[in-house]
Amino acid sequence: MSETLRSARLRAVPTRAYAWTAAGLVLAVLPFYLDRFWLQAGLFAMAAALGALGINLLTGATGQLSMGHAFFLAVGAYGYCAFAGDGTDGLAGLGLPGWLAAVLAVALAGLAGGVFSPIAGRLRGAYLGIATLALIFIGQHVLFNAHDLTGGYNGRAVPPLTLFGLTFDDSELLVAQVPFGAVEKLWYLGLALLLGGVLFARGVLRGRPGRAMNAIRDHRIAAGVMGIPVARHRAAVFVLSSMYAGLAGVLLALVFQRTVPEYFGMALSLEYLAMIVIGGLGSVAGAVAGAVFVSLLPQLLTRYSDALPLVSAPGTGGIAPGEAARYLYGAAVVAVVLFLPGGLVRLAARTPETPKSTEPSGEAR
Amino acid sequence: MNHRRQAVRGLAAALAALVALTAAGCSSKAKSGDGKQTGAGGVKTGEGVTDGTISLGALTDMTGVYATLGKSVTQSQQLYVKQVNAAGGICGRKLELTVRDHGYDPQKALAAYTELEPKVVGYTQFIGSPFVAAVKQRVDAQDKGLVLPQAWSASLLGSPYIRVLGATYDVETINAVDFLLKEKGLKAGDRLGHVYFEGDYGENALKGSKYAAGKAGLTVVEQKIKPTDNDMSAQVAALKQAGVKAVVISAGPRQAASLVGVAAATGLRVPVVGNNSAFAPQLLGTQAGPALEKMYWFASPSLPIGADTPTAKKLVAEYRAAYPDDGLDNGIVAGWTAASVFGEALKKACLDKDLTREGVDRALLSLNAHDAGFGMTHDLGDPTAPSSRESVIIQPDKSVPGGMRTVRQPFVSDAAKTYTP
Repeated sequence: MSETLRSARLRAVPTRAYAWTAAGLVLAVLPFYLDRFWLQAGLFAMAAALGALGINLLTGATGQLSMGHAFFLAVGAYGYCAFAGDGTDGLAGLGLPGWLAAVLAVALAGLAGGVFSPIAGRLRGAYLGIATLALIFIGQHVLFNAHDLTGGYNGRAVPPLTLFGLTFDDSELLVAQVPFGAVEKLWYLGLALLLGGVLFARGVLRGRPGRAMNAIRDHRIAAGVMGIPVARHRAAVFVLSSMYAGLAGVLLALVFQRTVPEYFGMALSLEYLAMIVIGGLGSVAGAVAGAVFVSLLPQLLTRYSDALPLVSAPGTGGIAPGEAARYLYGAAVVAVVLFLPGGLVRLAARTPETPKSTEPSGEAR
Repeated sequence: MNHRRQAVRGLAAALAALVALTAAGCSSKAKSGDGKQTGAGGVKTGEGVTDGTISLGALTDMTGVYATLGKSVTQSQQLYVKQVNAAGGICGRKLELTVRDHGYDPQKALAAYTELEPKVVGYTQFIGSPFVAAVKQRVDAQDKGLVLPQAWSASLLGSPYIRVLGATYDVETINAVDFLLKEKGLKAGDRLGHVYFEGDYGENALKGSKYAAGKAGLTVVEQKIKPTDNDMSAQVAALKQAGVKAVVISAGPRQAASLVGVAAATGLRVPVVGNNSAFAPQLLGTQAGPALEKMYWFASPSLPIGADTPTAKKLVAEYRAAYPDDGLDNGIVAGWTAASVFGEALKKACLDKDLTREGVDRALLSLNAHDAGFGMTHDLGDPTAPSSRESVIIQPDKSVPGGMRTVRQPFVSDAAKTYTP
């Protein structure tokens, strides 16, 4: 009996293991072949995926709408600069080592979320969305005006991260005759962070907290009756989601090499919401898929604007690539809501290969 | 058991193949030489230059906040490229301008810069000073391609590769205040209102007005606004109460129109002078049009598009022929100036037989009296100073093409001569 079980499991493992190993290998060798442009686009997608994981825990799994995600990204990005900066550029900086600064920046984002959590714990759904809207406006005002901390309109330079003696900047490092600059090195850091982020989020969603969160989303009162401390869970997941945003902010800052206040506006928050709707609410894979889709689309359209039909070359009239990307998002959101209520992940789930339904349900409500 | 062994073996084989591939340098990224060679005509070439073409990049904004400016600048540069190519190109090579629209989005701007970087000699246009600041480190340390930003903030000065063409906002504001002092009856002891955008542009201009005020014994009354503020009633009321004798505005065209319109309606009849970004010819068609023609002037780093120079007249005629549906504005002049400076540097680099980025940078530094045909001579020898300190004072006027009439020819005020940013 147990023999047959074990052999069945053994047979199941290799196919999955093969797929994961192959995917991992491909991702690991990409820096040896791809241009800086593609690696940078990939890094933006990884950072977006981290942020999307955070908001998916909050909005997708717990049903709490947040419009303030961009604010927490900004806290992470600027926090890193402030902790790691050495003050030589005339801006506030503590001069801490890069890795410590990154950890502290994520903690700071969590703390900011914690300060907001009394509100986050009491408000539900759309009401929280309206309350968090305030964060965006406060954040923008501070970013533009707190010169000594943020550098104002032109932002501040991001000090490079140093980890185990390896500095993630453009100083050239030859690996198998391929010169490794900032993006190549950051690629591996991004992969590691994303892997960690995905595993952690999966752990949260598949365990007790995940079930509690889904219960709160689906029926708050029933969840309370069953003994789930609703306010505490809501507050906690808000903090966790802010920390994910903070981590995404740190990674973004490292890729940008400069933090610009303009970026952390309302549009960014909306983009994150678009990511999880397109990808699939409440699922880890969905957050990653949506993030990749939403962050790569405009860059691809701009790059291939010369070759695409309908999209016109800049300066000739017609639909500009930037506009086309926006139309496509809009169309994607509508299409997903109409035909694919579970998001992109449902596409994969529809194929008969994986009928497993351990993934937390992500039906649109 | 069998399966696991197979999996391990497969993995090992894959890894070995991978190591072999990269070690053999199959990757096109593997280093081989420094990428420089000697091409046709014995000219040294590097990134972006082949025997047939010289590639240039333009990072513009045609869908974001600077859409109007971006469109004019880009079309004017495309026109320049077309004309140069029709006349046989530069160095026996055709120019090729690749345009990327970033819509004033930092992520797209950075992506576009990174995409074009290995393919072009330099950038004839880069809109958005925060984004220029973002790539500055890379430009200075590794890329070393020439970047001509369409922004006039003093914070962009100092890099040998990122060059500001024309007077920066602070210098321009000093010149504007000089105009108020010399021709509009402003005198020591008076109060001068300054309405400015938060951020780079406005704050740089404020530096200039404060410096000029200090020199002339004026007091500056500050009114800081956001780019989203369109109604200037509150600002006008505050300035009126403060008893200002003149107003400087460092904002967008909309704010300037609102300020002048409200001021005229509420009886604050003082001269208002703006920076070059604070006017668009379309304003003359609005209700504020008559008031603007009466009490508004603005400073500009070059003669307006409707100027009476042969280059300007030729450009207007050709631009109208090429883009009959589009209006004329100063973005055309700015784009043309930048493209022609780049073209001039390329021609010089060609004479030195060195079309690499280093060669072009060197050629640009030796360009110390370039006349783009709009009344200004640009001296590009000193990376820490703007290429010119001259300004022109322009008055809105419906009756001239482009809606702009020059009331004071290119000048540098005494205060601006001694000013160091």
